[in-house]
Amino acid sequence: MTSKGEELLAEFRRQRRAGDPRLTEEDKAILLRITMGDLADEFADSLAAISDADPLLGGGPDAQDD
Amino acid sequence: MIVVDEYLAIRSLTGVLPASLPDEPLALTTSAHWRILQRIHAPGTGQLSLAMGALSPTGRAALREPVPAVLEVVDPRPLLDQAAEIAAAYGNTGWLVAETLVAGLSHGRQLWFGNERNIGRRLREIADDLGVAIHLAT
Repeated sequence: MTSKGEELLAEFRRQRRAGDPRLTEEDKAILLRITMGDLADEFADSLAAISDADPLLGGGPDAQDD
Repeated sequence: MIVVDEYLAIRSLTGVLPASLPDEPLALTTSAHWRILQRIHAPGTGQLSLAMGALSPTGRAALREPVPAVLEVVDPRPLLDQAAEIAAAYGNTGWLVAETLVAGLSHGRQLWFGNERNIGRRLREIADDLGVAIHLAT
């Protein structure tokens, strides 16, 4: 027999593992292409480019060298 | 709670996570969330942007404002001072690296990535120096 706390924790886990219910099946397919499929490398390039374009975000030369 | 990168964060929304990822609540840093948001709000012209543009309005909302029950965004305020210390100590790391490392230090001394290319050399070196374990789960 499980306690109320255990049931709640199991429900939290279920919610977490189920993903976001706002995503459609088409959305999921797109996001899996980006993270695991043919767009994964382009996504990595894109993230690096965002950091490179913003010194506050991506950093830069050692400030102690100024 | 474990800190994950953009790849694992997005996968958490789909409910498709690597088996090797610990079964714990997942958290994304604000800087990593910022990079996702940049890709949504300032798209380019490539295949990635076309794909992002094809997301439904609710799909975009899931990326823009993750549901904490699925994916938390780490509150950066308590981390700010230590992040600045790290940035200063290791020479202008930038907010992304500094925030990621402090978040990792604060949450089990570990960081989880979903793509090896997303682990920068600088982050890896400083994490090693600070004793933060970097894990790859694909």
